[in-house]
Amino acid sequence: MPASAKHPAQNLEARREILKARAQALAREPKIAAEPEGRLEVLEFVLANERYALETAFVREVCALKELTPLPCTPSFILGIINIRGQILAVTDLKRFFHLPDKGLSDLNKVIILRRGGLEVGILADRVSGVRAVSVPEVQEPLPTLEGLSPDYLKGISREALIILDAEKILTDPRMIVHEEVELPSK
Amino acid sequence: MGTRDEEFLKRLLATFKVEAEEHLQAISAGLLQLEKEASVEKRGAVVQGIFREAHSLKGAARSVNLGEVEAVCQALEGLFSTWKHPGVLVSASEFDMLHQVLDLLARLTAAGVSDASVDQSQVQAVIRRLQRAAQGQLRLEEEPVSPVPEPPGPPPPTAVESAPVESVRVALSKLQELLQQSEEFLSARLAVGQILAEVNEVGTALMTWRAKWAKVQPLIRAWERGLEAAPVAGRAAATYGWQGQICEFLHWSETQHKSLEGRIGHLAKSTEQGYWLLGRLVEALTGDLKKVLMLPFQPALEILPRLVRDLARASGKEAELQIQGGEIEIDRRVLEELKTPLIHLVRNCLDHGLEKPEERQRRGKPRQGRITVAITSLEGGTVEIKVADDGAGIDPAKVRQAAVKLGLRTPEEAGAAEESELWPLIFEAGLTTSPIITDISGRGLGLAILRETAEKLGGAYAVASQPGAGTTFSLTLPITMATFRGTLVRLGRHVFVVPTKNVEQALRVSQAQIRTVENRETIEINGRALALVRLGDVLELPEDARATRGFLPVLVLTAGDKRIAFAVDEVLYEQEVLEKPWGGQLSRVRNLSGVTILGTGELAPILNVADLLKSAVKSSLAGPRLAPAVPEEREQAAILVVEDSITARTLLKNILEGAGYRVETAVDGLDAFGKLKDGGFDLVVSDVDMPRMNGFDLTARIRRDRELAELPVVLVTALESREDRERGVEAGANAYIVKSSFDQSNLLETIKRII
Repeated sequence: MPASAKHPAQNLEARREILKARAQALAREPKIAAEPEGRLEVLEFVLANERYALETAFVREVCALKELTPLPCTPSFILGIINIRGQILAVTDLKRFFHLPDKGLSDLNKVIILRRGGLEVGILADRVSGVRAVSVPEVQEPLPTLEGLSPDYLKGISREALIILDAEKILTDPRMIVHEEVELPSK
Repeated sequence: MGTRDEEFLKRLLATFKVEAEEHLQAISAGLLQLEKEASVEKRGAVVQGIFREAHSLKGAARSVNLGEVEAVCQALEGLFSTWKHPGVLVSASEFDMLHQVLDLLARLTAAGVSDASVDQSQVQAVIRRLQRAAQGQLRLEEEPVSPVPEPPGPPPPTAVESAPVESVRVALSKLQELLQQSEEFLSARLAVGQILAEVNEVGTALMTWRAKWAKVQPLIRAWERGLEAAPVAGRAAATYGWQGQICEFLHWSETQHKSLEGRIGHLAKSTEQGYWLLGRLVEALTGDLKKVLMLPFQPALEILPRLVRDLARASGKEAELQIQGGEIEIDRRVLEELKTPLIHLVRNCLDHGLEKPEERQRRGKPRQGRITVAITSLEGGTVEIKVADDGAGIDPAKVRQAAVKLGLRTPEEAGAAEESELWPLIFEAGLTTSPIITDISGRGLGLAILRETAEKLGGAYAVASQPGAGTTFSLTLPITMATFRGTLVRLGRHVFVVPTKNVEQALRVSQAQIRTVENRETIEINGRALALVRLGDVLELPEDARATRGFLPVLVLTAGDKRIAFAVDEVLYEQEVLEKPWGGQLSRVRNLSGVTILGTGELAPILNVADLLKSAVKSSLAGPRLAPAVPEEREQAAILVVEDSITARTLLKNILEGAGYRVETAVDGLDAFGKLKDGGFDLVVSDVDMPRMNGFDLTARIRRDRELAELPVVLVTALESREDRERGVEAGANAYIVKSSFDQSNLLETIKRII
């Protein structure tokens, strides 16, 4: 900023102020301007060499997966639990949730935290590519041949072959909620 | 603009719902009081109160455009205003009708929308009924008062009754977020502790230097003196020659070093102070926040009077409810868990406990039965909740019968059991003494729910009954969900926490002590045979490759009257544990109740012992355990897995361990190289793309190293191009596996080929 350049004596102080202001500006939750009609803002990510996207309206945050504590006695798609600033969150491997063939070794380095109503769900991704807008007319009907993935969970496929998942469907799927009792076999 | 207005209205509606709930609750409480109250003066005050509540609700409803609510409130107001005249009598059926009206209002406000879904005709019918009731009152009084008492005016200023303490309303979610964040300070403290340890290490390193310096110092001195004594060209070499410069530098180093030592000492001291200060502050902060989350019992008890009234009327009984200790405070989360069991208990009293009025009269008791809900604070941060009735008591014969029917006891056992031994049986799911299932109770579930709640919250439950005189259920609970003592156990790489209150004994048993009875393992402890199961099996963990030989660490766990011995890999230690309950996606997990954050920042699941005991029975029913496999005495090859992604690292480790290798892990090339230098590995499986040192560089470095040059390296990578593959071979890798075509068998085959 010019102010700091002009007064080198106050350089440090001024710089600190500027950095603080910037940090605050960055920390503020951005007010995303309402997408013009017909545009869909999505978060693009890579999972097992496929490019997927989820509507940003459902994305709370993305964070790096550093520690993962496996949890026994849960469905196989729950890979474990993580601690996000004191909040305990289960993380889901979508490949297993969708019953996709389990081939290849994925890095699953990123957690995308989805939110709908009171429910928050961590989804694993190999890589998060960024946020982009796709126009809705581009969203084609899902191809019936898409390997193994049930069309129920798809919103469509964009022109760039981006598979747009239906976050709403995924989050409202009753399978997503783990509620299991120990059932004793009747004698 | 439109969306902003909508947004605003939405927020307004949310506030309205909370407010409406309070008004309705107050009206309901007022009606119940009116039904009992005889004093004309007090009745007048109550009528005044509910009239005001109805009026406020009307005003609030208007401000959020809920026309139906407004109209119903208006009619309610009309009826209540006629009650202001002394001497008005309200019939029980009228009270019934009014409670139904309140229910309708609750539904209308909860829906929060002005149109659709709401049945207009129903609303109109209710309004007409209210108006008729108001007119009926008028005829009775023969006083001409207009049926619509007041033109709708602006809502009156919310006259808050003189509150003893000023308070603000804060959304619960905000408070909980705050508590969560304050608990996070614990990890900040942990981090400072880590820094303190490192600073101290630096201090120690400096001291080692000092010790060495002390040894060479006399030599340096001697050397210096020698130089001074040998003049070079008339001048002392120590001042001008290169040796002199070295000496000077050494002296400077020493001074510099001393000052550094001093500074590090200061740093260590102030870090330590900060560490303790932070600890105190965090403790105070989380403690205060927990207090903020405490609530009086009262709100949870408010539904009970209405419940008793409705149930009593429905079953033709007469009942009076007494509540004591509603002002006692308890953790909101405990209170939340308590609501359901409380309702079940009160239902039980009404349905099973209290007799019909005629029956009571025959036995010489007052027609009206009494149910008491009494809450008392006990020592040691616990409260006791007693729910008692003065009804018929529990019939021991019926309990015996039901226990036999359910197969919990044999007829002989049941017959011989003392009464005090029988009572715990009524907490078993499915046991009921009621001959018929009513819609109120009789399924035998209510008390089982009570038991589960008590177990979950770390409380205790009891029942006492005297035939003919009544039954008392009591529940003792901690007032905060805060910490409890937990025993940490290890199973393979997993650490689990067992609530210490469920641990009866921890011991080590030798293989020789294990008996096999009907293909099930048992051990004898204090002369009693106990079933022995592997905790890993019950938790469905994969069998650990390294089977324990020699002594087996065992925990004897109990819940209720069941005890089973669980074998673990290691019993670690005991510590205070703060349970974080599951939420959201994990609604209920088998065998686990929640999770805690250990001092190291790791998460450790907390075992639900009641579940475990059931699961253990189930797994032993499912089939006999195979005799423990005798571990093969072959030398296990050791593999180092180098991978920066934790999921891939864990997967590789699991695959290799499953195949019988001994596996260690490293997070990047640099970490791996350090571990390799310590020796003892037969093969390296490494990722390529890693921070600090990638897989190619690691391979090249291994090949250059004298001791490690021959170590086989398998690269597993996302890089698929031919150039990358060639680069891998160039660096000296023995195999190159591409992640996209990775599967377990090709990795294992490759490794088998190499070693």
